[in-house]
Amino acid sequence: MRVGLLTPYAWDVPGGVNFHIRDLAENLIARGHEVQVLAPADDERDLPPYVTSAGSTIPVNYNGSTARVSFGPIVSRSVERWLKEGAHDVVHIHEPIVPSVGLIALRAATAPVVATFHSSQQRSRAMIVANPLLQPGLERISARIAVSEAARRTVVEHLGGDAVVIPNGVDVGRFAQAAPDQRWQGTPEAPTIGFLGRIDEPRKGMQVLLGAVTAVRRVHPGARFLIAGRGDIDEALKTAGLPRDSVEYLGEISEADKLALFASLDLYVAPQTGGESFGIVLVEAMSGGAGVVASDLVAFRAVLDDGASGRIFRTGDSGDLARALLDALGNPEETARLKRYARTAVARYDWSTVAARILDVYAMVTATEPERRGLLTRIFRGRR
Amino acid sequence: MSGAEVALIAIGVLAIVGVVLVNLAQRIDRLHRRVISSRSVLEGQLVKRAEAAAELARTDALDPASTLIVGEAAWNAAVQAPRLVSGTSDLAQTGAERGLVESELTMALRAALGDEEDLEALRGRPETAAALEGLEQACYRTQLARRFHNDAVVATQRLRQNPVVPLLRLAGRAAMPATFEMDDEVFRGTPSG
Repeated sequence: MRVGLLTPYAWDVPGGVNFHIRDLAENLIARGHEVQVLAPADDERDLPPYVTSAGSTIPVNYNGSTARVSFGPIVSRSVERWLKEGAHDVVHIHEPIVPSVGLIALRAATAPVVATFHSSQQRSRAMIVANPLLQPGLERISARIAVSEAARRTVVEHLGGDAVVIPNGVDVGRFAQAAPDQRWQGTPEAPTIGFLGRIDEPRKGMQVLLGAVTAVRRVHPGARFLIAGRGDIDEALKTAGLPRDSVEYLGEISEADKLALFASLDLYVAPQTGGESFGIVLVEAMSGGAGVVASDLVAFRAVLDDGASGRIFRTGDSGDLARALLDALGNPEETARLKRYARTAVARYDWSTVAARILDVYAMVTATEPERRGLLTRIFRGRR
Repeated sequence: MSGAEVALIAIGVLAIVGVVLVNLAQRIDRLHRRVISSRSVLEGQLVKRAEAAAELARTDALDPASTLIVGEAAWNAAVQAPRLVSGTSDLAQTGAERGLVESELTMALRAALGDEEDLEALRGRPETAAALEGLEQACYRTQLARRFHNDAVVATQRLRQNPVVPLLRLAGRAAMPATFEMDDEVFRGTPSG
């Protein structure tokens, strides 16, 4: 099958949607399908062979984050060219309502369109204004996928219609087999607590985590906080009123280091305050064997099976996070029990399951014939 | 304002109205095609599901009574019941009849397959595992196909509520599509959850 995948976000900026697309593409290729990805990219040199650049990016504020997206006449033309040359059996657009290449492709695609909705969000003002304009494009989607119940609810409430839920995939085996790194392994006196995510983006909850540091240190003076991700750590610490040495900043870490980090950590904290629809990082941390402490978001609760796989604290509440962390460090047996449950619970997110389900969706839309093109044929060939 | 100017403005307005209407007609046309093609996919999947059920019944996976009931229900669904894709008959009516027959197959399968423990036992036996897996995939795909079809139907119905559509016959002679309703949950866990 010839599959065309589109992402609205710049390929060179690490992010959940693009990682998902990369893994999906590689899994489908491994199963013998032909896959092409169209993505905005400023630097075309380091793209994998299956990725085509749609053009350079422009930063816009969207869903509480700054996203780098592409639009404009040049981009529009390159989308059309890519679709034409690709001759895909199915075009799979991710985040189709983000104003970027996906939205453009929705109008131009002639193959059946599958769309995946990743984010769960409040209806933005731009979306309300644009909705009548969006509608004709949305009508071209033959199958809608939501990555979680939360994302599905967003689709149902804001766009009308329904979506099937297929979670994001994780290569569970790769995380489970990763070797720990001594630098990040904790000891009973100095347990390690980790965070991975953009530091300067408020909804990622960095400040919530920093707010709990002092309270945890009071009971466990040796506890080490390992922070990884893009952003200005000094600025974040200054805002929290903490000295520079209260956390260890690892910077942006490589994929290999991420595997080692999750295999090494005693606890992983997900302090996000909203806008998360899935929580793939939780599945990765659980697969790697770290204990998980997460904020009480609908998506996180679902991934953690309502607390059977990890501890949940009140969203945005540093005091409650400190309580949960101390509980996790103080009851190692209970923490081990949660980890054991988590290791089996992650199987449903493994790519072998997820890719098969996505292929089922493709099969259910490609059995339909592609659209006839041409204005005149459409008007004069009758409306049946 | 001269007569020529009035005429020019009138032509301009008419042109704009024309473009809007052609656009609307195109959208309806595209949705109708989505309804028709997704319905034919659904029809194909329903037949595959019934065949997979009959296949499972043939493997002596089920007790003799269940075998008979599932076999009968599968035959009804695959052969006896009205088809969803046909040129002439009233599709809303056939859809309702077919939905009942398919729901009966679902209920027969649910009763025959038992609970999670019974399923595990079937999965453990190599001669039944393949048939069960085939049925699971067919059931999942049927749920997908039905969801996608009903999505297209609902979108079409919504667009055709626009009062201009019946007034100018923008939907042509196409009948208003109806959603396909059936109990499709043979195994626990629908695509939605």
